[in-house]
Amino acid sequence: MKNTKRVWLSAFRYVVPADYEEWFEEQEALGWHVEKIGQWSSIMMTLKKDKPRQYRYVVDMQFSHHKDYIDMYEQFGWEFVGQMASAYVWRKEYTGERPESFTDQENIERRNRRFAIAVLINLVLFSLTVLALVIGFIVTFGETDMGQKLQFILGMALSAAFAAYLWYVWRKILRNRSK
Amino acid sequence: MDLQKAVKRYIPMSETMFYILLSLREPNHGYGIMQQVKALTNDRVAMGAGTIYQSIGKLEGDGLIVPIKEEDRKKIYAITDMGTLVLRIEAERIRELYRNTEGLL
Repeated sequence: MKNTKRVWLSAFRYVVPADYEEWFEEQEALGWHVEKIGQWSSIMMTLKKDKPRQYRYVVDMQFSHHKDYIDMYEQFGWEFVGQMASAYVWRKEYTGERPESFTDQENIERRNRRFAIAVLINLVLFSLTVLALVIGFIVTFGETDMGQKLQFILGMALSAAFAAYLWYVWRKILRNRSK
Repeated sequence: MDLQKAVKRYIPMSETMFYILLSLREPNHGYGIMQQVKALTNDRVAMGAGTIYQSIGKLEGDGLIVPIKEEDRKKIYAITDMGTLVLRIEAERIRELYRNTEGLL
């Protein structure tokens, strides 16, 4: 039996922070451990097989890095697993009651709102990309050959598809903002 | 932020904000606040790192608390004059609630 497995696009499949946390915890309970998280872990993550563990995972979003943010979590006994862009992943082994980092509703919603804002910024950027490509396609229509037209169409289709996905993610986070 | 705006934003106050302000009448750091509030409430209110970090950031941004020094990688905060005023206004409101519910239990 293989003692490592690769997980593709986990951050794109579990888009609600609480769902992503639960996914990490389920993997740990099955004995699949996250060694380290880095910038590319949202695309591909390697998990190693060992004994099942009971861990609480917390996924947080910080747009700017504050030294005291890391210090504060560590003082509360959280282990920094890594970060993917502005998303920070923390964990803590426990027995008994599942520990929380966000212990009141107001702050759970503030955390989730930051994720929604990050997605919204990307949604706006991709929507602008689609718009720019459509304008470029129309303006240069008479001067481009079939190959260039196909490139434009492919670019528009991919950007529009990703923008639609971001719209879905944004709506899903907002619908689950109290989670 | 002026007092009027702070009162509008913070009153009525969440339990988290109330206890952080109450705790910071004596300078303290995030972890110390959690311990003090836990002791004050007989373990009922156990604030997590995320809640304290975000709440401190908001209170500091609005001028209700201020960092005064750093010790062993821990930032120490204290309540400001405006924070004390807002806390007193909230305490008055709670006292009124208490008076108006006397005899209910």
